[in-house]
Amino acid sequence: MKHLRPLNKKAARIVHDHAGSGTNDVLALQAPPYTQQRPHVPMNCSLMFTPGWEVDAAGGTAGLCQPVERDIYDCFVSCYWPAAVPDHLNNSPDWASKCAAATKDWRNLDLVFP
Amino acid sequence: MKALLASILVLPLLAQSQTPQAASSAEPAKPAPEEGIPVTNQLVISKCGGCHTKDDHGNLLRISWERATPEGWEQAIKRMVRLRGVQLTPEEGRTILKYLATYHGLAPEEAKPVMYYAERRTQDETNIPTDNIRGACAMCHALARPLSWRRSQEDWKLLANLHIALYPQADEAFRLGINAGGFDEERHHRDPNAPLPLDEALTFLGKAAPLKTPEWAAWGARMRAPKLAGQWIVSAYIPGRGRFLGELEVEPSKGTDDEFTTRVKLTSLKDGSTITRTGHSLVYAGYAWRGRSKGTQAGSGAVDDLASDMREVMWVAPDQSMAEGRWFWGQYQEFGFDVKLQRPSADPTLLAADRTSLKTGSQGTRVRLIAESLPAQIAAADLDFGTGVTVRRVVSHTPTEIVAEVDVAANAVPGKRDIAFRRSVLPSAIAVYDRIDYVKVVPDSAMSRLGSETHPKGYQQFEAVAYQRGADGKPHTADDVELGPIDVTWSVEEFFSSYGDDDKEFVGSLSPAGLFTPASDGPNPQRKFSRNNYGDVWVVATAKNEKDKDGRPLKGKSYLVVTVPAYIQFDQPEVAQ
Repeated sequence: MKHLRPLNKKAARIVHDHAGSGTNDVLALQAPPYTQQRPHVPMNCSLMFTPGWEVDAAGGTAGLCQPVERDIYDCFVSCYWPAAVPDHLNNSPDWASKCAAATKDWRNLDLVFP
Repeated sequence: MKALLASILVLPLLAQSQTPQAASSAEPAKPAPEEGIPVTNQLVISKCGGCHTKDDHGNLLRISWERATPEGWEQAIKRMVRLRGVQLTPEEGRTILKYLATYHGLAPEEAKPVMYYAERRTQDETNIPTDNIRGACAMCHALARPLSWRRSQEDWKLLANLHIALYPQADEAFRLGINAGGFDEERHHRDPNAPLPLDEALTFLGKAAPLKTPEWAAWGARMRAPKLAGQWIVSAYIPGRGRFLGELEVEPSKGTDDEFTTRVKLTSLKDGSTITRTGHSLVYAGYAWRGRSKGTQAGSGAVDDLASDMREVMWVAPDQSMAEGRWFWGQYQEFGFDVKLQRPSADPTLLAADRTSLKTGSQGTRVRLIAESLPAQIAAADLDFGTGVTVRRVVSHTPTEIVAEVDVAANAVPGKRDIAFRRSVLPSAIAVYDRIDYVKVVPDSAMSRLGSETHPKGYQQFEAVAYQRGADGKPHTADDVELGPIDVTWSVEEFFSSYGDDDKEFVGSLSPAGLFTPASDGPNPQRKFSRNNYGDVWVVATAKNEKDKDGRPLKGKSYLVVTVPAYIQFDQPEVAQ
């Protein structure tokens, strides 16, 4: 902070608050002292990677693929959500064989009962 | 085919390359192998022993170091059939399942905390100790799934390896950890030597779910054939429909000591309607009841019809004096009775009351008590409703019912009261309240799944429950008094999470009885980007009679996520056959 001079009140407060902390980095804005509240995710939801299958990282549906059928082969082939979408790799190699384009033929996708 | 071959060749390498890393930070010294549970069933040895080789002590590889619920074993057997080429007739499958679930099963005390998983209840899991364990295990399935197993420390590691071999993404979850749904990328930059999430999970499971436990040792000695034949009194509750009472007649099936046929008759306390059902059930390990039943009257065909075919999962107490569990149906097992069975008694016993609350200052309120073995003479003094509530008179009584009129003092302390008839007590059966302070919609967060002809819908039933603020005078605190369900009108409101998505126009509809029916799955051309009919909404209950202090009707709401179908349904319905 040697070469920076606070121009407004907020910046001055940051400089003031960090004057005695021995660090020159403005960590105050990056690392909140509180732990972030976890979004509510219903039990069994497959949240492997954002976005999740049933809900996204925020516990809602706004971040899911639009529509989910657009991405379904990628999920299937790479075994992306192993608890919600069948995987091509081991368990259900033929799952999508009746469904050439999921956005059109999604009705042909079977349910799997492992 | 090439891809398949390549994956077969690569996967074991992947699995091997992970093992030392996982093992190195978990425990440096290798302990002596644990003693296994010898397999004595000839069919299991002949069907499984080809790969699961038998050692000098009669242990079959893997199997002898594992115990599980019937659902756990069924899942494993089905995986062996699906992926490992095991050939079984249904009868052989049933025999193997019965043997493993009984002699490599869980003790009742071990099974009780994870019964919600077998009972197919969706609830918030409070048994996940750390975020890393959540990230390693509970981002794809409930933690109850591993906790439905007991394994040696070594076998837990092998299970992790199996995950890595079958599901490549599991490897990433095991190593990187997933914090609250997103990657915790910084974790390893901050502390590269910290134990991996997998190590943490394995240490936890090794301690929380070890192969050898005092409970299992004790159950091995105590386990006996389930003597469940005869009469049972059933107390059942179904959200949205209220309480039912009835009788269950259990008869042993010919030639077995752990299979039964059942007949049940349930009567609604709310409207007096009756349901009769017949069924068949199996009891694993002396306590794990798994059954199926169907209605004997023609049903209405509605999805929430009480004549639907149901599955029964119950936990029979070790002394076989009671049982409790859930009778459920629906594609996602979303409908169900909470059920409790008890043996009839020759002594007068109270079973239920038809009301759940009494208002302070109310006079001459009629309370109907259902009971059994009541004597011929009943006086008002035989009944006790606790402080502040006086029994004015007994209006009528039969051997199974008492109707009493009660007065509640204007200054009675609000709170739950026991109802007692002589020495029989219904604990916390009726609540005294001065006013209804708020309405709570249960479940307070819920999930429904879109569906159509091929992917059946996942419904959600809501219920509105009234509350009194409790002794501290503040609503929404732990001491609030639950007063039971009230009449409300239901509506759906937008939950504002993204701009202009108008979720409530698309997700589905809510019936006057609080049953949410989701819309069709598949892309919807009427929505932006042809997105599905999924969405997040509030389900709002507006009380018909109860008002707040400003004279507006009381309202309660619950967060509902309407989401896409699960194409895999991890459910083991055959355990009941």
